[in-house]
Amino acid sequence: MTSQFDKIYYGLSPEVGKFRVAASGMGWKGTESNNTVTLEASKIKWAQWIRVARHFQLRVGLADHSKQKFDGFLREEHDKIASLLKNHFAITLETQEVSFKGWNWGVADFRGQDLAFLVSDKTSFELPLNNVANSNIAGRTEVSLEFANLAGSSKGKIAGDEMVEIRFHVPGNVSKIKDSDAGSA
Amino acid sequence: GSSGKEGKGWKKFQSYKGEGALPDEVERLRIFVDRKAQSVILPIHGFAVPFHINTIKNASKSDEGDFTYLRINFQTPGQLAGKKEDTPFEDPDATFIRSVSYRSPDGHRFDNLVKQITDLKKEANKREQQKKEMAD
Repeated sequence: MTSQFDKIYYGLSPEVGKFRVAASGMGWKGTESNNTVTLEASKIKWAQWIRVARHFQLRVGLADHSKQKFDGFLREEHDKIASLLKNHFAITLETQEVSFKGWNWGVADFRGQDLAFLVSDKTSFELPLNNVANSNIAGRTEVSLEFANLAGSSKGKIAGDEMVEIRFHVPGNVSKIKDSDAGSA
Repeated sequence: GSSGKEGKGWKKFQSYKGEGALPDEVERLRIFVDRKAQSVILPIHGFAVPFHINTIKNASKSDEGDFTYLRINFQTPGQLAGKKEDTPFEDPDATFIRSVSYRSPDGHRFDNLVKQITDLKKEANKREQQKKEMAD
């Protein structure tokens, strides 16, 4: 038996598609492009549920340590997704708490390929480090990250506004960030 | 920071209590000014990230080629405070976001956003000033 969820986005794509879950695995198919993404049941290791801009994100961790993200799930769909994952793949859907306090201070935490910014121990946002085109250290306490435009976009094909740079004030901690694999100038 | 000196004079503020309070507009992955919540919500790699107006210093815009750039500067320690007294921070030793920049082919919308953010900041400053006068 297959369960279907409509109006689901794959990653940051602007295109909606249909998301399906069955005993054999999960899949997404774009409504316009007919592009497909399939995740085999045997490769699925974990799953998380996170509030993002486009409602909730289902994040699926795979055996090769990669992860796939699907946005657009509704709050009310949590229980249905959780039981599907439990029944078909014997995994527990974990909720990752997100901060909406509106603070610009917290902790920068490296998690694999992502830099997570935490406010009061909750995720505020994550930056995929493989999209960092350039990083700079200005003075002793400032780090900037510049992002390559995602879709190689000229006009129109990006979903929403595009962040091109973020600067952090890191008191006495710059060397810590520099020594990581954040990419260097 | 745990020392008693840190965070002195800092007054608590918060944009939203939970995800359910986020306005529907965030779904469009565009910068949104929520006047009611005194906040600017930024799309950051798929997340909807609110910033309370108290964290924002200013916003500005510049045009380069086909694109318009919007930059938001935030309040952080270690900046020259000018003639004002030092802004208090909850945790001055934390990592702070100092600025973010966005680009768009739609210069008019970014113009409008800069105006909305600047107005929100003015209102917040005015309220702060009035509070101070009341306290004196």
